Amino acid sequence: MYHNVILAGYLGQDPEMRYTADGTPVTNFSVATTEKWTGQDGQQQERTIWWRVSAWRRLAETCNQFLSKGRPVLIEGRMNSDPETGGPKVFTRSDGTPGARYEVTAFTVKFLGGRGEAPGFEAPGDEDVPPEADMEEDAIPF
Amino acid sequence: MYQRIFLAGNLGRDPETRYTPGGMPVTSFSLATNERWTDQDGQPQERTTWWQVSVWGKQGETIGQYLSKGRQVFIEGRMNPDSSTGGPHIFTRRDGTAGASYEVTAIRVRLIGGRGGAASFAGPRDEDVPPEAYFGED
Repeated sequence: MYHNVILAGYLGQDPEMRYTADGTPVTNFSVATTEKWTGQDGQQQERTIWWRVSAWRRLAETCNQFLSKGRPVLIEGRMNSDPETGGPKVFTRSDGTPGARYEVTAFTVKFLGGRGEAPGFEAPGDEDVPPEADMEEDAIPF
Repeated sequence: MYQRIFLAGNLGRDPETRYTPGGMPVTSFSLATNERWTDQDGQPQERTTWWQVSVWGKQGETIGQYLSKGRQVFIEGRMNPDSSTGGPHIFTRRDGTAGASYEVTAIRVRLIGGRGGAASFAGPRDEDVPPEAYFGED
């Protein structure tokens, strides 16, 4: 019926904007979310997840204009699953082993803190971005 | 800094409750979230995403008694990646091809709609279930 993903993390790379064949802008970037907690043995634990985020249309343009590597962002979006399996898309790494990643289509992006105090932005119209609007495959971000 | 997954969908199978060697209950089930939209050509489109959900502790034990295949639930949770890659878990299907899955550890579970009236299970203490609790599985 519904699913929603909320991320607060840091950009792992500068965003890259491209255009689909019909001229629609799409911007891709990776976001790292690191969670820390204290384990049962009292040791500090840490885990990082990398998310591959895509933003479309006007949101793509603003992301490309204002975001850069290392910036903290808040993302609200939807997991872009493989339509055939309902799970993450599986690809083949250069060494021949299978890989998969968390692909998120963003419908809200907000800046968090940091330099310039740039305002957050969101694109209500982009909520209508169809889940099937896929990103191109390229190198995994980690 | 933070990641959360919110799901409202239907159980794809009956839940299974197991116990870790330390006696901690963990209930797992698959959940389907179905989304429909109209594409730019005006055609109705549909996509189902599948999630493998784990509910730990007493909340898991309790919910395991109430859930069954087809029931609707709302889940608030966090994504649990493969600890070695930080990405989705990858497995080998019976036909030998590779598959991947979204594994979610629930923080809150609520029954929505359906038979028997609504009941909710919110365990504030279970918010403290550490992400590494997942790795005790299997």
